[in-house]
Amino acid sequence: MALIRIRNLVKQFGNHTVLDGVNLDLQKGEMKVVMGPSGCGKSTLLRCINRLVEPTSGTILVRDQDIMGAEVDVRALRQSIGFVFQQFALYRHLTVLGNVMLGLRKLRGMSRAEAEAQALFQLNHLEMADHRDKYPSQISGGQKQRVAIARALAMDPAVVVFDEPTSALDPVMVREVADLFNRLNREGVTLLCVTHDLALASQIANRVLFLDQGVIRADDTLENLAKHHPNDQVRAFFGEKEGRS
Amino acid sequence: MNGWSGFQRDLVEQMPLILAGLRQTLQLTVIISVTGFLFGLVVFYFSNSPYRWVRSLIQGYISFFIGTPLIVLLFLMYYGLPQWGLKLSPFLVAVIGFTMNVAAYNAAYLTTARNGLDPTEIESARAQGFGRGQIFRWITLPQVLRLSVPALTNQCIGNLKDSSVAFLIQYTEFFARIQELAATNFQFFKAYLLAAGVYLGLVSILVLMARQVEKWTRLPGLGR
Ligand SMILES: Nc1ncnc2c1ncn2[C@@H]1O[C@H](COP(=O)(O)OP(=O)(O)O)[C@@H](O)[C@H]1O
Ligand SMILES: [Mg+2]
Repeated sequence: MALIRIRNLVKQFGNHTVLDGVNLDLQKGEMKVVMGPSGCGKSTLLRCINRLVEPTSGTILVRDQDIMGAEVDVRALRQSIGFVFQQFALYRHLTVLGNVMLGLRKLRGMSRAEAEAQALFQLNHLEMADHRDKYPSQISGGQKQRVAIARALAMDPAVVVFDEPTSALDPVMVREVADLFNRLNREGVTLLCVTHDLALASQIANRVLFLDQGVIRADDTLENLAKHHPNDQVRAFFGEKEGRS
Repeated sequence: MNGWSGFQRDLVEQMPLILAGLRQTLQLTVIISVTGFLFGLVVFYFSNSPYRWVRSLIQGYISFFIGTPLIVLLFLMYYGLPQWGLKLSPFLVAVIGFTMNVAAYNAAYLTTARNGLDPTEIESARAQGFGRGQIFRWITLPQVLRLSVPALTNQCIGNLKDSSVAFLIQYTEFFARIQELAATNFQFFKAYLLAAGVYLGLVSILVLMARQVEKWTRLPGLGR
């Protein structure tokens, strides 16, 4: 049983069709990477999964439940999907600890002590416990990302999705992000990551999905995509940047 | 023209009334600052309603009360409403009129501050599963209030000064008592100078308090 099963997903903004029949399966425990050029609809795809964006048509099943159903509790759905944004989007007025605690307190109804213990456990896990009392403006991009991950993991989600996890970071950070993702995945976290960073993709996945012109155009190893794909543009996308990184 | 001694004698004689007026002034200032703040929050909350008609209504409210001189509103209620059989006390008219007016200004400050928020934080809160009300309470409000502290505290200072117009609807606050003092001995200059000095002193205290509030509410990275 797939954790997330997407069938024929279509999303139009006005008469601009961004997603034009996307199919995707994500198994529990898997780490899946979706790549594609800027503007191909990667962020839109992720936002459809937790209904930050309403799909135009198609089906998305999360743990076998059709998330477009009328009886679906959208807020419960969102709580089951950890979302780490491109710019990390930490709450500026809360400390590192406060950021991780807020959902536990207000969504899970935990007592202060319970929430603090759980938050500190996650921050420790991501090596951010020492920074617990700092505000987001006082930590680096990589540290913000770790806090955002801790904030997501604290809610015990079924899957954590990442939108361009390296785009707001220094290129030298890619290795560190890849190591972290690999570690989390080994520990049992299911990850879905969209990116156009080949260096990152090559360090965390053997196979990647290629999203282009509204559909998953390929699902293959990076090597095959770079060398043997019949389409020139696809080969160029995976070949050219690999040389650079 | 009798000099200082006459003025001093009248001042001492009327001091209990003047102090009572001062108390009325402070009372009105505190009340309208609190009610204007609270009602301003309500107006601000609805200014971001998902319903277009609610947003238009709120926009209309803010424009109307910012665009109408307060004194007109006060006279309308105090002298106008009795013609429809509704007679309100000066105190009640002052509280209602000021509250509506101050709330409109406060709501305008808060909506301006909201433009300084980072939309991705709101989106991230939605993605975490927070509802509208929760996002308002736990994300929007704490940030917007911090960003608005200078404007909101300035409004309180304005409230103290503006409360003097309440004497025009027979509310016997400090300035009304000073008028009486001036009328007994015709020492207008001294009386009004005294009034100016008292207001200045009170405003200075408020300014110091406002600085303190600003200091308490300042956070790293939530700049103004
Ligand atoms: N809310 C929106 N309204 C209209 N168009 C949008 C909206 N969100 C995204 N788009 C358009 O959808 C396309 C895909 O956007 P996006 O999913 O952000 O791409 P990517 O993340 O792959 O760079 C872009 O052309 C973008 O302009
Ligand atoms: Mg994107």
